[in-house]
Amino acid sequence: MIHKFREKLIQIFFFLNGLSVILILGGIFFLLLRYTWPAFKEIQMAEFLFGKFWDPTAYVKPAYGILAMLMSTFMVTVGALTIAVPLGIGTAAYLSDVASPKVREIAKPVVEILAGIPSVVIGFLGIVLVGPVIAKLTGTTNGLNAINGAILLSVMSLPTIISLSEDALTNVPKSFQEASLALGGSQWQTLILVKIPAASSGIVAACMLGMGRAIGETMTVLMATGNAPAMPSKLTDPIMTMTSTIAIELGEVPYYTTHFYGLFAIGLVLFIITFIINMVSDIILHRYERQTRY
Amino acid sequence: MELSKDPKIVIQDFDFYYGNNHAVKKVSFDALGREVTSIIGPSGCGKSTLLRCLNRMNDLIPETKAQGKILIDGQDIYEASVDVVELRKKVGMVFQKPNPFPKTIFDNVAYGLRINGYQEKSEIIRRVEQSLRDSALWEEVKDRLTDNGLSLSGGQQQRLCVARALAIQPEIVLMDEPASALDPIASAKLEELIVRLKEKYTIVIVTHNMQQAARISDKTAFLMQGELVEFGATKDLFTKPTRKITEEYITGRFG
Amino acid sequence: MKNFLKIIMVFSVLLLGVADSHAQMIQVKGSDTLINLVQKLAEEYMMKNPGKNIAVTGGGSGTGVAALLNNKCDIANASREMSLKEYEQASDRGITPVTIVVALDGLSIIVNPDNSVEELTKDQVAKIFRGEIRNWSEVGGKDMPVNLYGRQSNSGTYEFMKTAVLKGDFSGKMSRMNGNAQIVAAVQADESGIGYVGVGYVKDSTGIKVLNIALKEGGEYASPLDKIKVDTGIYPLSRPLYQFVNGNPQGDVKEFIAFELSPEGQRIVEEEGFFSIPQEYVGLNKKAGL
Repeated sequence: MIHKFREKLIQIFFFLNGLSVILILGGIFFLLLRYTWPAFKEIQMAEFLFGKFWDPTAYVKPAYGILAMLMSTFMVTVGALTIAVPLGIGTAAYLSDVASPKVREIAKPVVEILAGIPSVVIGFLGIVLVGPVIAKLTGTTNGLNAINGAILLSVMSLPTIISLSEDALTNVPKSFQEASLALGGSQWQTLILVKIPAASSGIVAACMLGMGRAIGETMTVLMATGNAPAMPSKLTDPIMTMTSTIAIELGEVPYYTTHFYGLFAIGLVLFIITFIINMVSDIILHRYERQTRY
Repeated sequence: MELSKDPKIVIQDFDFYYGNNHAVKKVSFDALGREVTSIIGPSGCGKSTLLRCLNRMNDLIPETKAQGKILIDGQDIYEASVDVVELRKKVGMVFQKPNPFPKTIFDNVAYGLRINGYQEKSEIIRRVEQSLRDSALWEEVKDRLTDNGLSLSGGQQQRLCVARALAIQPEIVLMDEPASALDPIASAKLEELIVRLKEKYTIVIVTHNMQQAARISDKTAFLMQGELVEFGATKDLFTKPTRKITEEYITGRFG
Repeated sequence: MKNFLKIIMVFSVLLLGVADSHAQMIQVKGSDTLINLVQKLAEEYMMKNPGKNIAVTGGGSGTGVAALLNNKCDIANASREMSLKEYEQASDRGITPVTIVVALDGLSIIVNPDNSVEELTKDQVAKIFRGEIRNWSEVGGKDMPVNLYGRQSNSGTYEFMKTAVLKGDFSGKMSRMNGNAQIVAAVQADESGIGYVGVGYVKDSTGIKVLNIALKEGGEYASPLDKIKVDTGIYPLSRPLYQFVNGNPQGDVKEFIAFELSPEGQRIVEEEGFFSIPQEYVGLNKKAGL
């Protein structure tokens, strides 16, 4: 009798735990909605989504457009992925297939450590190290721009991409490898034509999570991308991401003004974007899994 | 492709070690061309190990050693100058558990062709169809070549693996307990297939199913604890075995 | 049991520490222009008056004023006046902001030493920061695009520049830096950069050049480092530096502010590169009881 009761108690405990996570997520979403909703009493949705400039404290007329911000976030995220995806998958393939056990033993912890570097430190490196190098290489006088942000964010998404891709590759059953080799395939052909495609769902999921990390990163871009709200036209332009805007302005905005609600609206956009990315990566992971249950 | 029944594979005083474990002990026998040679014996007797030496798949395992000779068409495959990749194009393999790639049925069979440099689309299509016909799978999949290979039943998957192996036209096909993961009907179909295949290919099959060995093979080698106990025509080995242990094994006295 | 007791002890000490300092801690928040100066003043004050605790943090003038209006600080540092909206919010919340001037600033326009330009009119400064003048050749310099470095919207200096100089919006291409120090660093690293910082940040800085500014074309070009020019307003970008308090300052707060305004405090102001309070603001401070 006591056993049954204890069982039930444990069940309830775990259920509440699981429930609390869902509640927290739902709570955040609800809070965002609640503080976003009043913004649209003053701001037109079209102006918000398609307006180029975000300048709520403008001298003449406040502007609440997020297009330039979206572009900035987009530039820096795509830039980061362009670097981190090939580098990350390549490293993962190296670690899972080519590296000797000794190299693996060293490399894996190093990747973990890379993941643990605080974003302020990376931002700092962006200012004092990466910035001047970029300035010299691109012939500009100032290295705080989209490229800088892209490089820094690629460093921050690499551990995620490497780690999860490597897991995906290691989980490819050896039987596939054997089959390929038995057909006269070389190590390389097996890796590229069999292993990586077989692990593709895990790899894609890894890249999407890395992407989510890049989109949501605040401190690093705040420090090293120049923070110019104008619509960027090239990679060497300074940019201002959605995250930077919120971080910069939320500190001093008077509470419960349109500006205040507007910032929450930006936060909601960020939340929705990351939510969609996570959902899509989840679907990819599961759909492929169902198709190829091995 | 040879037409004669000369010894295709000659195993001469062959030893194999996993580290310190002496898994195959001075085994010698021949496998003739266009015959089915089966290797039987209780679990752990070294039959799979020996099979995997024939296409040097055991090279993948660290700390192994091979001694003695395995001649295929007169050439020792363990000689340093031998290109393992080329060897495996000549000696194909079908594994115990069906392992089609997570690709389409077509791409599964075409894989071997593509990695061996075949590029012309029409040629690939022709060979894929031929292989699927040879492995008695064509009629069942001809309308769904773009389905994923893993969507087939177990027996069909195994025949797909056979087709995949046949596509590159090996001369020898090794089979490592190919029917053990299949239901009786699929198993029977596979056995029919093997009997037909020997018209064109040399087949060496490892099996723990003695009735199967008796049904489909021309020659049988009986291994125990790494040693060759007896080798001979299947009919003879099963009806009048020369060693007592052989008789005991065949009559099921031990597993 | 032993561990448990240890934990209890640590917690009690922490709590006591917090409780104790909270009773006497003066919270000063706000302007980045003022932060170094007020920190120095606070250090000196605390050295002379052991037992008094003053915490000085930044965040920009806007953050300071917001904190004052939310009753989260005792003194708000600001390099600009409070806006109409802020006064309205204050009255809504029953807060009476009282203004005190603690120093005078000559807002300095800085460029890289390799930039050949030496002086600009106030109008040219406005045009440059509004993004209307985009190349240094337009003001007599080299043929290179202008790179703007400014503050963020929480900065009093940002507001001051906007309302007193630009009378319009900053160019969208201006990089919004976190504080004065970052602007200095950016201009040091960028040959075609231009930025605006409090004069206190110019005093010890190498690697930047301070421009002389004239009110009008043909007028006198003055340097922000020249006290007389700043005091008399011949330097066109002079501005007082404020502290706002809720109601006339009392007790510890009053004592600290009195120290800031004393000859000793004003000496520190000058040492930090700013200028002591000119006569015209003494009257204002007297109204606050100081």
